[in-house]
Amino acid sequence: MTILEIILTILLAGIIGLFFLGLSRKIMARIHWRYGPPIVQPVIDIIKLFNQTSISHGILFNFGIIFSLAGSVVVLLFLPLGRICPLSNSGGLLVILYLMLISPLGLALSGGEAANPNASIGISRKFLLALGYEVPLLLILLAVMTYYNSISIVEIVNKQIQAGWSFQSLPLILSGIAYILILPAILGLRPFEMIHAPQEISSGPLVEYSGKFLALTTILHAFNVFIGISLFVNLFLGGAENPGYFFLKMLGVFIIVILVNAVFPRFRIEQAIKYLWKWPTLLAFAGLIIALITT
Amino acid sequence: MDRNKLGKWLKSPGKMGQKYSLHALYFCTGCGIIEIPPTITARWDAERFGVIPVASPRQANLFLITGYVSVKTLRFIIRSYEQMPEPKFTVGFGSCPLNGGMYWDSYNTIKHLDKYIPVDGWIAGCMPRPEAVFVAVTHLWTLIDKGMSDGYKKYRENYQYYRKNQEKILGKLEWPPLFSKNVKNE
Repeated sequence: MTILEIILTILLAGIIGLFFLGLSRKIMARIHWRYGPPIVQPVIDIIKLFNQTSISHGILFNFGIIFSLAGSVVVLLFLPLGRICPLSNSGGLLVILYLMLISPLGLALSGGEAANPNASIGISRKFLLALGYEVPLLLILLAVMTYYNSISIVEIVNKQIQAGWSFQSLPLILSGIAYILILPAILGLRPFEMIHAPQEISSGPLVEYSGKFLALTTILHAFNVFIGISLFVNLFLGGAENPGYFFLKMLGVFIIVILVNAVFPRFRIEQAIKYLWKWPTLLAFAGLIIALITT
Repeated sequence: MDRNKLGKWLKSPGKMGQKYSLHALYFCTGCGIIEIPPTITARWDAERFGVIPVASPRQANLFLITGYVSVKTLRFIIRSYEQMPEPKFTVGFGSCPLNGGMYWDSYNTIKHLDKYIPVDGWIAGCMPRPEAVFVAVTHLWTLIDKGMSDGYKKYRENYQYYRKNQEKILGKLEWPPLFSKNVKNE
């Protein structure tokens, strides 16, 4: 039964993530007043990339991308998707906080093996950005854990189903706003797109990827989009009873993020750090203090 | 356009994928590049055909040579072409890579690009309009369907010929040959 749930979670996450990637391209196109690609375009790209020759740059290049993908898949198993949560009894928010670092680390190992200067710049930006958003993320998670007095996500979701969304309740609304402010940085979308930045550093860590390696990074991106939004829905929008309702909530959050992505230019990396350590951190800190006082 | 026909996708997914996901590398050699921004942005929107620009040759499978090719640029065109993963398609854009165009007498530009790398199709004109790029893309779809866009195979088969031409115009090349001898395709 657990194995079935694991397979179902990975499949659903992949499908939803790829659907979001396609939808983002379509929404961006409509905002630019053009027709845009079909929604299945990322799937078409992946099919094409698996049918290309691919150039490997060494053992670590192959290993790093698998490592990164595995890290993302493990995080998926800890996140409840509706009622589906294969590893609900173990782990919780603390484990997720540790495991979320594996995915950028793997991509850094893999991209670094290619020894391209653009990849090195991209990787250093990726880690600096991770340093930027991990501080407010830690404060937000601390506030949630303090308020609900639990580290288990399933328990937090259950309490929200009884008492209403935590995004509506006063003690946690500041933390929720802080999470929305750092969500583009977690997903790597504009205005925090400086990791990939095709115009200045030739798509950063992905510059030497071809064929099936690029296909795997696309799937990895889909998983990461799913993780970032699903964590927000579970912690602040009260999760859901069934996967369909959960998907609708994720869709709403994702469209907000895409609208921001469509109209904002890119930050430079030091501007991003300055922003991330100022407003989201201040809000998250205030949220943590309120949560401490009210419990 | 048969992008929505599921039967074809099940029959030959590789071919259909290559048709409808052309990741283009625009080589900004000459004046032709000025036609590309309207093609890929809101006015003509190449993305609806699955054509999007990518930043590095490793991710690309469509190579657009836009404009005249000077001898100095040819070196980098060859290097970029050899870095692209197979199957790869090349399209010459404008009169200049086709036959020299208005630079026929120039000491500094090459006249026929297809002596140095294989070219799958040409867009003639000076300058071609952005619509011509879409005509080229639809022609390329037909060629991929019939298996006639085999420039990369020709490059493997006749590598000695291309390498000789490259060395003739560029002098000694500082990178080793891509293939040690002519490779026979299966």
